[in-house]
Amino acid sequence: MSDADYDYEDLGLVAGLEIHQQLDTAHKLFCPCPTDLREPEAAERTFSRYLHPTKSELGEIDEAALEESMVDREFEYLSYDTTCLVEEDDEPPHRVDREAMDVTMEIAQLLDASVADQVHVMRKIVVDGSNTTGFQRTMRVAGEGAIETDEGTVRIEDLMLEEESAQRVEETDSGVQFSLDRLGIPLVEIGTKPDIRSPEQARDAAERIGMLLRSTGQVKRGLGTIRQDVNVSIAEGARVEIKGVQSLDDINDIVRNEVRRQVELLDIAEELQARNASVGDPQDVTEVFEDTDSGVIGGALSSGGNVMAVRLAGFDGLVGREIQPDRRLGTELSDHAKRHGAGGIFHTDELPAYGVTEDEVAALRDAVDAGPEDAVALVADDPETTSLAIDAVVERAEDALELVPEETRDANEDGTTRYLRPLPGAARMYPETDVPPVEPDPSEVDRPELLTEKVERYQSEYDLGAGLAEQVAYGEYMPLFERVVADGIDPTLAAGTLESTLTELRRDDVAVERLTDDHLAGALALVDGGEVPQEGLDDLLRALAADPSLSAEQAVEQEDLGGVGEDEVREAVVTVVERNAEQVESEGMGAFSGLMGECMGELRGKADGDTVSSVLREEIQERAG
Amino acid sequence: MNAGDRVRVERADQTHEGVLMPSTTGEHLVVKLEGGYNVGIDRDEADVEVLESDVYDVEDAQAESDRSTIEFDDDLPTVSLISTGGTIASTVDYRTGAVTAQFDAEDVLRAVPDLAGMANYRGRVVANILSENMTPDVWQDLAHAIHEEIEAGADGVVVMHGTDTMQFSASAMAFMLDTPVPIVFTGSQRSADRPSSDNVMNAVCAVEAAKSDCAEVLICMHADESDDRCALHRGVRARKNHTSRRDAFETVGAKPLGEADYSIDGDPEITFRREHRERDATELDVDPDLATDVELLKFTPGTDPAFLDALEGKSGVVLEGTGLGHVHTDWIPRIEELVADGTTVVMTSQCLEGRVCDRVYDTGRDLLDAGIVEGEDTLPGTAKVKLMWALANTESVEEAMATSLAGEIQDRSVPWT
Repeated sequence: MSDADYDYEDLGLVAGLEIHQQLDTAHKLFCPCPTDLREPEAAERTFSRYLHPTKSELGEIDEAALEESMVDREFEYLSYDTTCLVEEDDEPPHRVDREAMDVTMEIAQLLDASVADQVHVMRKIVVDGSNTTGFQRTMRVAGEGAIETDEGTVRIEDLMLEEESAQRVEETDSGVQFSLDRLGIPLVEIGTKPDIRSPEQARDAAERIGMLLRSTGQVKRGLGTIRQDVNVSIAEGARVEIKGVQSLDDINDIVRNEVRRQVELLDIAEELQARNASVGDPQDVTEVFEDTDSGVIGGALSSGGNVMAVRLAGFDGLVGREIQPDRRLGTELSDHAKRHGAGGIFHTDELPAYGVTEDEVAALRDAVDAGPEDAVALVADDPETTSLAIDAVVERAEDALELVPEETRDANEDGTTRYLRPLPGAARMYPETDVPPVEPDPSEVDRPELLTEKVERYQSEYDLGAGLAEQVAYGEYMPLFERVVADGIDPTLAAGTLESTLTELRRDDVAVERLTDDHLAGALALVDGGEVPQEGLDDLLRALAADPSLSAEQAVEQEDLGGVGEDEVREAVVTVVERNAEQVESEGMGAFSGLMGECMGELRGKADGDTVSSVLREEIQERAG
Repeated sequence: MNAGDRVRVERADQTHEGVLMPSTTGEHLVVKLEGGYNVGIDRDEADVEVLESDVYDVEDAQAESDRSTIEFDDDLPTVSLISTGGTIASTVDYRTGAVTAQFDAEDVLRAVPDLAGMANYRGRVVANILSENMTPDVWQDLAHAIHEEIEAGADGVVVMHGTDTMQFSASAMAFMLDTPVPIVFTGSQRSADRPSSDNVMNAVCAVEAAKSDCAEVLICMHADESDDRCALHRGVRARKNHTSRRDAFETVGAKPLGEADYSIDGDPEITFRREHRERDATELDVDPDLATDVELLKFTPGTDPAFLDALEGKSGVVLEGTGLGHVHTDWIPRIEELVADGTTVVMTSQCLEGRVCDRVYDTGRDLLDAGIVEGEDTLPGTAKVKLMWALANTESVEEAMATSLAGEIQDRSVPWT
């Protein structure tokens, strides 16, 4: 049946969200470095490290960390003139950044959550290299809040303040390269309780939380600055944590596809049990493929590798069963093999193919005593990898006999997911002893105005239209808008400039992103104060985008954009009128609109349209009269 | 209610359920929640209910019940692992929240499984202290222990030591022991309770260095901020020059004596840049006596001359002077009195790099007349340890201080080598 037919209530869908949002603070969470992202080419130094898992304070080793560390990898890090020894794990962390803590407390207020008496910084073990320390510093700041959605209340489990991980740049021969610019940027994590009951509600809740976060005016914008993790389970299934959903629009699909996957896996388990299926022991079947034409297998063998296979008794046809769009049980087995360094697996539901012949398939079935009702999965690689990978395949296949495994999965771009690692547990947390606990005081911060409230206020207080008010409130320039309006700039001028003018310039390929808040505030102040006519604003912003080292005042001077007095306007208008004396005489005021354009051109945007128009009107009247 | 109990804590409208942690203080109950987060709850405001006692044995959580059994391999050399405490074998103390040393040498093998197969190990704990708490009598215990280990057949010794005073202990061993095998000090700058700790590479490289042919007292620590190679410093020439970096240790006045190139398969390659004492070239001996009433005094502008009064009656004083080896001229008569009273006064320089020369300026010449002994290019900390040893073991202290006994003085100033 198609997933559209699922009755989510019937299936017992339970979902929760974890929303991660970078904060736009001046400094990183545990050092005074700026929170700027850099291009890898700007890196000044590199260094390399290995990571080793350690025990938690309760004496346990986290399963996810252990699996990660099975793969011995070297991590290379890029550092910049905007990073310091703290990011390199060569200096203890400084104290928790106050601004970040204040913003987090504002968010706690918006979520109606209670701030803890004493916040303890914890180390969450992460040995995939994305943290130079081997752990992510994180602290639970508040808990027990709630948000509203169309389908009811979703309770908030907790609000965490943590450090962002390093950005993965690329895979290298021996491991992975990471960039330290992102490491340590303050990140809040909001976890809901599993109160979500439909894919639509999941999206709705994520959208609501996103709005609350942006209401602080202190969150980063743009791709990757907000990430959604979705926890999904159905009644008979298992809790699966799906990481890194980049866009709100993907949430529905992710939830739908995960429900489908769990339904299909349960179906497969039932079928396997009916068939009395089982998983055999891995065997070396290198001999079968000695003269193979398969590029993958032949390649592995010629570089000293081997082939291991496992009989999946009773699995015939089920390994190839689709469980998500274009993903099969075989894909799950393959994902586990990949986690242990193999390129993937082959299985008999898809063979003969990929250069593996029918004879080889028959010999393979022979070699592991597989009958027609059985499937066989195989891995070809160097012997160490082969052995680790085939064991992982066996483990996953055994799980398929009875259940949906609890695990962490990674969101794919098409709304499907792939296996990432076991579900991490409490065992990966231990105290960050280098940072003393913090006793935050929520009374020090005010509850920010919600974006929805801002939209209302911009209309009632500033007379902005509903559309523009919403654009400004939800737009990236909201904090700047509020700042300049507080400084006395006309709200209509500010809103129009920050939304329409900048959008038009961007369409015209002007590098608007190079304009700083100070550029924009400076330009608006000059126009609002009458030093630059509104018509000159466009040129002023272009000049600043072309050379961001200039201040707004310097750009006005350089481009000669300063307003002209009425005498100069009259001089220009008279020149134009006299040049067109004949037309003025014959048409009178009828010549006005044609000449207006000519006058404005003559003044090259240096005069205000209203002034030009009134002077022109006078001059025409004089002559026509 | 005890640490390790599962508790439910009610406070205002919030309920927290979890394990009570030992970091609980008078003001705050610290509870580990289900997800692993610790949270502090105001004790006065909280209602606590114990749900289950002793869910976790928090105190012993870091210890392991089954001791690892180490197999003996006749083909491998024997390396003694001697622990004195320090970060390489430390864990978090959950009472204070600070990192403390709690492991014995055997634990190091469990903490660093990569050591397996490199050697046969003998484990021994001489002390379990942070290195700032090191004292000369522990140096003496350590020297006896090393002597016994080598006598018992160790082909090399690795001393695990806190980094703060490692250079002092290494210097003490260099003067006290005549050794036919390598004695290698190592430690870690980033504690062993973090996945990024430098302890694994340092320990692996130290064991490899202990198997090498360099029968000297070495310090083996990261050569740079990468996990790629360790520097092998001559202990008497090494100095901790950074508070936190992995490559905090540097050889002063030269490049490090050698290097251990680390590769992940656990087989580092050891190379040396300069001449060194070869394995088995020396007969094993120990002279652990020390004169413990020796002080190191640093002179800076404005230092109260009363400090010199406090030195009256001491056997020895090392001055860390300015530049070529100077102090305020007003100090000179007082120094002269000290010397006349039988105190050996050795001049070193706070420049660290370079040689003391008190024959260039008047102040220096006056200091020489007052009876100070020039410490050549000996590092001030090393000079203190050397003076303690020389006062107890040599006929002419003045001559000993001018002679390189363990490589602490470089006769030729060639810092580029």
